[in-house]
Amino acid sequence: MLRIAHLVDDTGPGGVTRYLDFLARDPGMQAFAQHEVIAVPRANPAIRPIEADIIVSHLAITWRGLAGLMLLRARNAGTPLVHVEHSYSAGFVAARVTARARFQTLLRCAYALFDRVVAVSEGQRLWLVSRGLAPAEKVEVIHPCVDLSAFRALPAVAGPARTFGLIGRFDAQKGFDIAILAFRALSGPDLRLNIYGSGAEEQSLRAAAGTDPRIRFHAFVADPVAAMAQCDAILMPSRWEPYGIVALEARAAGRLLAVSCIDGLRDHAEEASHPCRGLSVTDWTDSLSEMTAHVVTVPRRRASAPSPERKTREGWLGLFESLTGEVLRRSPHLVA
Amino acid sequence: MTLLTPRASIVVPAYNVAATLGDTLRSLLAQTYAAFEIVVVDDGSCDGTVAMARSFDDARIRIVQQANRGLAGARNSGIAAARGRFIGFCDADDLWRPGKLAAHIAHLEDNPQVGISFSGAILIDDAGQPTGLSQRPRLRGITAAHMFKRNPIGNGSSPVIRRTALEDIAFRPRHEELRDWYFDERLRQSEDIELWLRLMLSTDWTVEGIPGLLTQYRVAAQGLSAGITAQYGNWNRMVGKLVPLNPGFFAATLPAARAYQLRYLARRAVTSGQGDQALALMRQSFAASRLPLWEEPAKTLTTLTAALVLRLAGPKAIDLMRRQLRRRTANS
Repeated sequence: MLRIAHLVDDTGPGGVTRYLDFLARDPGMQAFAQHEVIAVPRANPAIRPIEADIIVSHLAITWRGLAGLMLLRARNAGTPLVHVEHSYSAGFVAARVTARARFQTLLRCAYALFDRVVAVSEGQRLWLVSRGLAPAEKVEVIHPCVDLSAFRALPAVAGPARTFGLIGRFDAQKGFDIAILAFRALSGPDLRLNIYGSGAEEQSLRAAAGTDPRIRFHAFVADPVAAMAQCDAILMPSRWEPYGIVALEARAAGRLLAVSCIDGLRDHAEEASHPCRGLSVTDWTDSLSEMTAHVVTVPRRRASAPSPERKTREGWLGLFESLTGEVLRRSPHLVA
Repeated sequence: MTLLTPRASIVVPAYNVAATLGDTLRSLLAQTYAAFEIVVVDDGSCDGTVAMARSFDDARIRIVQQANRGLAGARNSGIAAARGRFIGFCDADDLWRPGKLAAHIAHLEDNPQVGISFSGAILIDDAGQPTGLSQRPRLRGITAAHMFKRNPIGNGSSPVIRRTALEDIAFRPRHEELRDWYFDERLRQSEDIELWLRLMLSTDWTVEGIPGLLTQYRVAAQGLSAGITAQYGNWNRMVGKLVPLNPGFFAATLPAARAYQLRYLARRAVTSGQGDQALALMRQSFAASRLPLWEEPAKTLTTLTAALVLRLAGPKAIDLMRRQLRRRTANS
């Protein structure tokens, strides 16, 4: 069976780790290949020999790590190399990169070492191709996924939103400050804003929340299902987001969902109940107040439409087939 | 040929501009670039603006009419109607040099990371004559901080923008049912800088200039001093809207940007003969930040001197000084 080595440099809790769990444990993924997740140092991912037919990098690309990637390529000259871009997007560059030309050079150099670059969203693919960071024929979109069954099992929300939820790291990236200010502009005394997570921005978020008794901070929850069960509506006012797996979970749970229309969140905007075009506080207050007046049950995926899990499996299957030139074994698990 | 989709569109917002629109359209029709259209957006004019536009009878000119929505609203309607991949803007009292469109499109096509291409400008007076002043901004290596402090794009008739870059920042307020917004129609006077800055803070598109003074930008002879306070209010509203995009950026650059904005308003106060106000604005500018004094000592000190002279010696002395000033370039 085809052996896939998934290289990762960050095993902390978060979207990437949960996605890798899915890749390594999902029966549908195991049916056509054997997946092994290998933790490696970012600076030297080729430190030990890698026994695999295809190597997939989930590493963050940095100048420091570039030499290590070159070594990885050199030591595995005959093995197809794939890079999954979990970290970067147009919004990331806008917010965090001052030397933009230099950063683009880094990405072009790094991507040139790989046979394929996997974008985690259509929004990210557009960015990679339109900025000339990787040639269009080398870039494929495979949306990340997790096991969504527990989210599907939650009773769907019917009727107006009363409890809003913010779930994730307290980092400027997530834009929780925007949602807090937007929420405070709403007057309903029975409205609630639950914030689940932890991180460097905690103090400033608490300051933004002020003394508003409707806003509650909760400790980080390892199981987002439990957090989502307590909310009618999930808010994602991210300043950048290569994909945004929480949006996928909120949709599976039948929650009202507001996303900012940036980067990978654009992929969710069509399905989200309340795509919010604009990052200003008033734009978000508008979206929130629409959600408090929402009276229709949130539609879940049509039975005939393929599940996100299936789309992810088929994405990898197709990529592996095109890299090896072999037809891989289909199993009933693939379409589950 | 004209049936093909034009590669570029030039949006001309037009509100009661029958007197100047003819010259503007002639300068646009004289562009050396071949495949373009002009979208004249009549923003509810009640003079002969539409008749003037129709009188050209040129297939490249399309006219869109709407009830008055203001400059931002007219530009947004123009973008909605435009079919080009590149969209330029020319206000209906400004002029484009014949090679402007061709130069910007070559720039955008050669540089896929550039979202906005702009150029310097010659300032002209009501009669269309050069005033001797020009805008010669920084062209390359422009960061969001440069944009916020000095607005190198300079005026609304300067940029040609990639449509995909505009689509990246499109939004739609709740009450809007017709079409998207690019420029924020709730803002007055600061709608240009708001869009340029929002683009730089929320996308990775590069903003870059090309050499040459390719725009002729008309400045009214007498600025209304009453407008200065209102303009500062509009600028503050623009800032308040954008802060949540990147609070760290604003914490770092707002004092200096405020100082530059106050210096600009002080120069306007000098132009309209308001010595007390000019001096007060310069005082506020220094209180906000001393950075303009280090970054642009000549211009800052000239403004301060002009304000002082006007206050102490009156407008006649200023006329004398202005002749000196004209040798310098005016960036804003």
